[in-house]
Amino acid sequence: MRAAILKAGATLLTVAATALSALYVTSHLKNPAAPLQPAVLSTSRASVVSAPGGTLTLGPSVQPSSAQPVTSTYAS
Amino acid sequence: MPHKPVESHHFEALGTNCSLFAVDASRRALLEADFWVRGLGARLTRFSSDSELSRFNASAGRWQDISPKLESLLRESMRAYETSSGLVNVAILRSMEAVGYTRPLSEGRPVATELRACPLPALPDVLAVRPGAARLQRGAGIDLGGIAKGWMADRLRDSLGPNALANLGGDLSAGGLGPAGGGWPVGLGGATVLLRDQGAATSSVRRRRWGGEHHHLIDPRTGLPARTGLEEVSVVATSGVEAEIVAKTALLVGPELAPAYCAAHALAWWLSP
Repeated sequence: MRAAILKAGATLLTVAATALSALYVTSHLKNPAAPLQPAVLSTSRASVVSAPGGTLTLGPSVQPSSAQPVTSTYAS
Repeated sequence: MPHKPVESHHFEALGTNCSLFAVDASRRALLEADFWVRGLGARLTRFSSDSELSRFNASAGRWQDISPKLESLLRESMRAYETSSGLVNVAILRSMEAVGYTRPLSEGRPVATELRACPLPALPDVLAVRPGAARLQRGAGIDLGGIAKGWMADRLRDSLGPNALANLGGDLSAGGLGPAGGGWPVGLGGATVLLRDQGAATSSVRRRRWGGEHHHLIDPRTGLPARTGLEEVSVVATSGVEAEIVAKTALLVGPELAPAYCAAHALAWWLSP
């Protein structure tokens, strides 16, 4: 009798865990439209400038300027 | 917005030209920064046998006490190794020596040697760092030339005040809004861009060349001077040291992968084949 109760309890526990897991998963579906992490700069948000000798790409956080540069990055 | 007066100072150190710019900073602050660069450069050069770096290289095989600055740079080097998937590897000294780069170029052109492929060891396999000390595997050697200038520029930017720019041989770090309020105007790939709390750096195989095939940019995968199809990469990133790491990595991955790599890690980039 005691063995049967234990079997029934274990079965109920398994069924309940499966049902709760399925309920949790279906209510937390992955959003296929979520942005990639880490974020990758979309080429549509970057401006590409072809210049003699190479290609310059500016992301949205770097603005071009017509001002005279105070200094430059260069190979040393 | 009216231009604010900019105090500037230019000097030679670290084997290259250095420039400091600051709004609302004193002349004395710039001169103290000059002194700091020269002092730290003397401790980190591999060309002087009594520098802290050379003593550390000579201590290979055992734990050696190191200064907080060298410890910080070695930890940054470990991070650079991880973020570049091993392409920025400061355990490059033996390869530098093998290609003949054994003295500053100001002391004469290196002697071209026969090139033999010898991939670099993984940095975590040869370098261990703990608080106040580090250990280098016997036979390995560290050269911080590929990371130190950007790292130093970031610290200078912070020390010179909230609106300053430090350029150490083309590896630069800019903080604040610059003299006109929109950012510091900096030349990059033939254009001018405005940098605000950002860094920029250039990696190139066009300079420091000798003997035809020899130059200073070693590909850790071969231990030989890099030949990837890109000759020069300039990058804007969140800091000077980050820009230096990304520029070097982009050059080493070559023209096929560099645009995607830069799109993921840089804020602006110049690729020149």
